Amino acid sequence: MSNVVVLDNGGGLIKAGFGGDLDPSVIIPNCLYRPLSAKKWLHPSPISISTTTATATAAAEASSDLDLTSASVRRPIDRGYLINPDLQRDIWSHLFTSLLHVSPSNSSLLLTEPLFTLPSIQRATDELIFEDFNFASLYVSDSPSLVHFYEASRRPTSLLSRAQCSLVVDCGFSFTHAAPVFQNFTLNYAVKRIDLGGKALTNYLKELVSYRALNVMDETFIIDDVKEKLCFVSLNVPRDLQIARKPGKDNLFRCTYVLPDGISYTRGFVKNPDEAKRYLSLTDEASSPSLGVKNDVIELDVSEKTENRKKIDLTKNEFDLTNERFLVPEMIFHPSDLGMNQAGLAECIVRAVSSCHPHLHPVLYESIVLTGGSTLFHNFAERLEKELRPIVPDECKVKITIQEDPILGVWRGGSLLASSPSFEAMCVTKAEYEELGSARCRKRFLH
Amino acid sequence: MDDDATNSFRRMSSRTRKVAPKMVAALASSDNRSQAALARLEALENDNAGLELIENIDDEDASLDDDEQAYIQKRQSKGTKRKTRQAKALEAKKAPKTFMELLHEASLESLPPHVPSYIKAAVGPPSSTSRRHFCTVCGFAASYTCIRCGVRFCSCRCQNIHNDTRCLKFVA
Repeated sequence: MSNVVVLDNGGGLIKAGFGGDLDPSVIIPNCLYRPLSAKKWLHPSPISISTTTATATAAAEASSDLDLTSASVRRPIDRGYLINPDLQRDIWSHLFTSLLHVSPSNSSLLLTEPLFTLPSIQRATDELIFEDFNFASLYVSDSPSLVHFYEASRRPTSLLSRAQCSLVVDCGFSFTHAAPVFQNFTLNYAVKRIDLGGKALTNYLKELVSYRALNVMDETFIIDDVKEKLCFVSLNVPRDLQIARKPGKDNLFRCTYVLPDGISYTRGFVKNPDEAKRYLSLTDEASSPSLGVKNDVIELDVSEKTENRKKIDLTKNEFDLTNERFLVPEMIFHPSDLGMNQAGLAECIVRAVSSCHPHLHPVLYESIVLTGGSTLFHNFAERLEKELRPIVPDECKVKITIQEDPILGVWRGGSLLASSPSFEAMCVTKAEYEELGSARCRKRFLH
Repeated sequence: MDDDATNSFRRMSSRTRKVAPKMVAALASSDNRSQAALARLEALENDNAGLELIENIDDEDASLDDDEQAYIQKRQSKGTKRKTRQAKALEAKKAPKTFMELLHEASLESLPPHVPSYIKAAVGPPSSTSRRHFCTVCGFAASYTCIRCGVRFCSCRCQNIHNDTRCLKFVA
């Protein structure tokens, strides 16, 4: 077999490349969009690897000069699952022919699929791969086991690798999973899911801004960018709400985002990046309880910079964000605030762990791995630890590691697996598929 | 939310009452409220409007702006002049099913209880029921509830804004 295509088919971004490589060769938003200026649905342009920390939109816009204001979007994936194979076929064929330059008929495919994919969706996926694209062979994996595989091989001396057991928290675009992994297999009976991901957060921010400032209900790409640049996780919500209420420069969270006007700039930007970073000074000394003292200190720091802070200019399209900056990611920790009848991330983790064998509990708590784009919010891991500690049994240690690149973690695990010598034996070939059909072949992947 | 669910049956009656339209809205039953909450959550998974409208063209009450209306007209003119029922059914078949429809079709409820499935993987309700309430207008801690639609606000000022703008937006 000449080469293995590794495809992490996320709801937000497709990460694609060749087995054995360090990084994926192409990262592309998994959607088609139609800007106002275009009549046809267009393929988004790929995102360069260097800017992966800023996700989909920011970089996509950077590489193309398209004005994405009010662009409509079509996504093949709904709530994490592939529901529109026709659209996915379009996107994949663009990917394989124009971006990766591979011929599917003489390469294998390693595809990631979300946990608990419905049989009907699996069948449609198999048809797509073997009948439309004619791949020579296929291996389907779930993302938690790949993350574990990657982390275990990267740090061979860690507990995670010695016990061959970890708890992968994947907070992605469509949903959030807490999945225990043991001996490279995801323990699917213990997996817990929260139906909130980056997409819901973006839409929530969209709703808030549209109600409070400007109507941005159509501006998915812009608000995505706002979310990535300005949102963070608060370590102390009541205190931060107090601060967000203050007028003038005492308010460390207020910052202004300028929307594109289509003439002088086609991309939105943060009006004053220093202003946007002021909250960092606060969280650095989060442990000190006295509010007044702290604010004095900060005021000294920032007074010079904010001297010339202008009033909001109504001729420009810009809006201020204050408490929205931390109340939006807050939803992952407390979905009930939104009216959702689901437990928050910390409780989700505890429930996932307690569904496993008791012998695994201490090890799982000590090897929590965070992955997925939504974990990139500042202070995400700190907040999680703060919430987790009181509800985890005292005798267990809690240790949370965030992957060095949470967006690419799954892909790298896949690349590693694809380059392992036993990979070819694990695949299902086209001949086997034609002989046995989809359902029987799927048994091979053990999920 | 929680207490709304308990008395949802009391308000509902099979008899159709004749009340002024404003009063109907005012009496928006708690069941409507939970439906509204669900609709709001559902909206969080939406993509941009452009797509959604193509799928439910038949919705008369969906608000369309000129652009989309033009698009739909073009779509209709492209096809035959008069659409037969069969053609409509075919078209509906072509539109991809939503995940919820697929989930319903898979009938995961019929699986034996020990088999893990999408439904069983959901994390379930939180153990502590205390829901924090934030003002829907300004985002700060909200201590008051709108008597008409049940949405939270924090102050008189925010109440006025709420009443003027989107009271009953998700309910009516």
